[in-house]
Amino acid sequence: MTVTAPRPTTRDDLVIVDVDVHVNDTPEALAPYVDAPYRRVLDHISTLPRRYLDIPGYALRLAIDLPLPDRGAGARSVHTAQQMREDLDALAVDVGILFPDHLLTMAALPDDVYAAALGRAYNAWLAEEWVSRADGLYGAVVAVPQDPEDAAREIRRYGALDEFVGVYLPTAGVNPLWGNSRYTPIFEAAAEMGLPVMLHSVGLIHAAFPFNVEQFRTILFRHPIQHEFALMANMFSMLESAIPARFPDLRIVFTEGGISWVPFTMWRLDKEYHEYRSMAPLLEHPPSHYIRKFYFSTQPIEEPERPQDLVTMLDMFDGADQVLFASDWPHHDFDHPRQVLNMPFPADVKRKIMGENALALFGIDAPVRAG
Amino acid sequence: MARISAGPADALAPGERTFVKHRNFEIGVFNVNGNFRAYRNRCPHQLGPACEGAISGTLMGSADTDWQLEWVLDGRVLLCPWHQVEFDLDTGERIRGLGERLRSYTVEVDDGELYVVV
Repeated sequence: MTVTAPRPTTRDDLVIVDVDVHVNDTPEALAPYVDAPYRRVLDHISTLPRRYLDIPGYALRLAIDLPLPDRGAGARSVHTAQQMREDLDALAVDVGILFPDHLLTMAALPDDVYAAALGRAYNAWLAEEWVSRADGLYGAVVAVPQDPEDAAREIRRYGALDEFVGVYLPTAGVNPLWGNSRYTPIFEAAAEMGLPVMLHSVGLIHAAFPFNVEQFRTILFRHPIQHEFALMANMFSMLESAIPARFPDLRIVFTEGGISWVPFTMWRLDKEYHEYRSMAPLLEHPPSHYIRKFYFSTQPIEEPERPQDLVTMLDMFDGADQVLFASDWPHHDFDHPRQVLNMPFPADVKRKIMGENALALFGIDAPVRAG
Repeated sequence: MARISAGPADALAPGERTFVKHRNFEIGVFNVNGNFRAYRNRCPHQLGPACEGAISGTLMGSADTDWQLEWVLDGRVLLCPWHQVEFDLDTGERIRGLGERLRSYTVEVDDGELYVVV
């Protein structure tokens, strides 16, 4: 299903950059790009049943919700660059930053050699079939956490292309957390190439953040935890190992968690820091100093009964320059750009959030809209 | 007040719907278990095309059911295709929401023809 009836959006005077849209990375799509030994594996996996956002052939995500009839919107997916461009046109989005579907859970794959091969195939497939400056479609190089040295090579290889503007850090099930010293080559490569790193989680049943979510019977109560807990755990881990102090020019983006969890992290960590500063000897400032420099994408944007509360929330962490619009298209919980545009932010803040912040962050020239 | 023709009443069987245009938007016309209802095709959540969604039932329970689940309102629950927001097709109200509702219109049957009053 697509957005069949685009509705008018007040957008004439602003560029909309969507920092989180998803391409459908099926095994049959990746098969031509994967190393020879795995070609037959992906051909075989292509024939197996698959579920929404699962890695085909693997049970990293479990279908544990009670299946109700007629609730099928989760099946939306985008299969080609042309379809993505058309879908984003219907959403009035000028520029999209591409993330995967199935590989959202790749950090939990136990076979590190296979995981690295999948990552290389995904990057090559993006480069060949998806990214395009003319179409406003930009890629994020996947950094496979199971093989940081290979990930660093991939970042340097694809980061040299103008169409790759970030590094995707798989965050669901990553173990150890992203602050672990084994990932240093990834942060070195990202900093060297000037590419922001982008954390993105998803739900899965696994012994790493977001873990224990199988204790919820429904996505209603599991979903608000699985993204934010994974992001929070990895943010704390990266602060604990002083990533933002050691890599002062590295931009760090947290996606798909909304924004209302951010003030908690600043205030709570600063409070702890009073007592335990000596346990973070490499941090040169209180944690909130660094958190204010992180970037956060909007989706799933909070929808408070009093919309002004969201404006207050943004001000709590000086978010006007740090928040990036994201729709999460085509996923079940996508936000239409209008949902953020209609919030009572000042006009200059809207322009920043909807596009200007992302253009500056990713070094993308403002597109000229046809017609 | 104006009336927009929505076709012959007997062409719209229970469970079926049709659409009419009014100005720059659409109105969905439904036969809900023999009663005709009309709603603007715009979800109060994120303005998705609610009237194009699946018609289903839903799960509910309360003290009245001794907290046992029941599959209820079968054929009366409209699911917005964007985010699956549930509406009672008989009233246009969001089920157990905060008072949100689909914009509703009166449907008149005149000499076997359906008319939406706008």
